[in-house]
Amino acid sequence: MGVMRMLFSEIYGSYFRVVAAILAEAGDGSLTPAKITRLVQKEAFAESTLAIPAALRSGSWPLLEGGLRPVLRHRPTMPLTLLQKRWMKALLADPRISLFAPSAAGLEDVKPLFGPDLFVWFDRHADGDPYQDPRYIQCFRTACQAIREKRRLQVCFVSQGGARHTFNCLPYRLEYSSKDDKFRLLSRGNARFGTVNLAGICSCRLLEPAESPDSSSAEPPLARMTLLLRDERNGLERVLLHFSHFEKESRKLEDHLYQLRLWYDKQDESELLIRVLSFGPVLKLLEPKELVEQVKARIRSQLALIPFPE
Amino acid sequence: MSFRQDASGKNVFLSVDSRHIPRNPLYKAFKAKSFTCKDITLHFYILDILADGQALSAGQITDRIHRDYLSRFDGSFALDESTVRKKLQEYAALGLLGQKKEGCATLFFRSDSPAPDLTAWAEALAFFSEENPLGVIGSFLLDRLGQQPDLFRFKHHYILHALDSDILCDLAPAVSEHRTVELTLRHLRGGRDYRRTVCPLKIYISTQTGRQYLLGRHSKSGRLLFLRVDAILQIHTGKTEENFEQYLEEYQAQKEHIWGVSSHSDGHLDRIELTLRHRPEEEFIPQRLLREKRCGQMEILDSQTCRFTAEVCDAVELLPWLRTFIGRIVQLKCSDPAVVEMFRQDLTRMQALYGGDADAVQ
Repeated sequence: MGVMRMLFSEIYGSYFRVVAAILAEAGDGSLTPAKITRLVQKEAFAESTLAIPAALRSGSWPLLEGGLRPVLRHRPTMPLTLLQKRWMKALLADPRISLFAPSAAGLEDVKPLFGPDLFVWFDRHADGDPYQDPRYIQCFRTACQAIREKRRLQVCFVSQGGARHTFNCLPYRLEYSSKDDKFRLLSRGNARFGTVNLAGICSCRLLEPAESPDSSSAEPPLARMTLLLRDERNGLERVLLHFSHFEKESRKLEDHLYQLRLWYDKQDESELLIRVLSFGPVLKLLEPKELVEQVKARIRSQLALIPFPE
Repeated sequence: MSFRQDASGKNVFLSVDSRHIPRNPLYKAFKAKSFTCKDITLHFYILDILADGQALSAGQITDRIHRDYLSRFDGSFALDESTVRKKLQEYAALGLLGQKKEGCATLFFRSDSPAPDLTAWAEALAFFSEENPLGVIGSFLLDRLGQQPDLFRFKHHYILHALDSDILCDLAPAVSEHRTVELTLRHLRGGRDYRRTVCPLKIYISTQTGRQYLLGRHSKSGRLLFLRVDAILQIHTGKTEENFEQYLEEYQAQKEHIWGVSSHSDGHLDRIELTLRHRPEEEFIPQRLLREKRCGQMEILDSQTCRFTAEVCDAVELLPWLRTFIGRIVQLKCSDPAVVEMFRQDLTRMQALYGGDADAVQ
């Protein structure tokens, strides 16, 4: 059997998982029709709300006697598949695994699904985080603990300019960027240091527990950008793919002309500006106006540096 | 998911900021495979019968199914030994069951151990299920955990690649086992199908689009080829390639000149040179060059000037990156004059685009 067919198997599917949960409840003697409905709604697809209870009730899947009593003798469990073990084994060669240091026990005789250098992220920035640095690993784990336990953190941070800052905050997530190959600590409690590079933290100390912020209120407000896209040089596909990680709306205005609106974090404005510039005349920035002025200024500066006569 | 009503009708679209979601929603596509009543029933029966550690033959398992489970129902659900045997062999191939011989009989047993402690892996799984190109497998593992960690978010996170996980899942072991692959691909423009036989060497992935490419040595031409993974329809894994290490060495030699995923058909290299000027306080410009130069070199000429040089397989690929430095470029040279000309033409068009009528597009 090919590995591909092994990936696309019903044993990983939502239906099998929900039925296992239902059978476990039945084994505990606490199953009711309402519980079946709740479990199905929580774990499976919308149409399953009808299909799963009906199949169990009718005996099409003869797993519950009388619709509620289990016929199994054990709580349903499933061993890990070879594919799952091989994937986990492959992760042990990833440099970032040292942040988690999970035990390799149980994977000793398993062949990794892929080697450590199979994947080449060819446009990744070269100054990624130092995943083998013990101080970095310690900060990562302390930050994880603070998020897990909803505790405040005292952070000693060195900015890019070399200045040292100490501040208290309530961290709520670690954010990873594959492009930058960096983790950033997202926190509340100190507006200036709401997002800091983990690699810039020289030490951190757990403080007292605090109420966790509502994550939506912790996220920064988003700004809107409007772009005009000319579909040439396969521009439509390239632009939509490149900006596909943003929440956005696209609208066809006429043949080969589209309007694109996307919502972004103001902190990333400079990065977004050069990403728009990278598409050249395929993409025109319409708003925000301040950013349009910056684009115009850059074009003017460029023409002054090299006039490029026609 | 949302919709918009306009003159052309109702447009339904899916729009998500992947920075604000902990898990890739597209993994659900791999959790929706159809199955038969026998598939799901046998799944729970077999794993239950073998749960106490016994090793049993297909015949013994079939007998137990009838005696312990089916006897409690009305008899309309029929199972024969060959169906049970087929399922047992399928589960052995998946690794859920082990097999051993006892006399003439093949006995099946659950392969619960050795197995890693998933609880201790939970946070690693939460990270790698999003970050690893085959993260869908991590998503299957996370599904087994009651409480899933919610520590991470992902910036610049491209989630569409998830839909090609099945192709990648066949390519990865082919590379590990040094096997050739026969691929059926679809032309992305024309829609015509075609075939290529290659020795797969690497998977190239863009962190700035999420697009994945197979880098392989084309058996017919002997050239290195980049093939988009999303264009691959089918894979047939072939023989072991004895020259795999040699091909890898050929790739290593060429790697120093690969900027992206393109090269000239005759293999010639382009030399490109970019000189930038910045204000003394704009230290981030040379820093940007240092971290984004890939196979190129960077030198500081003075406190306000730095230079990037590279010999690359196809300099046209650098154009989008070069345009990110608009406003600071004091010199651009390339052995292929068409590259500089294209940059010049684009800049002229951009000047018109932003300098003419407010919304005019050339």
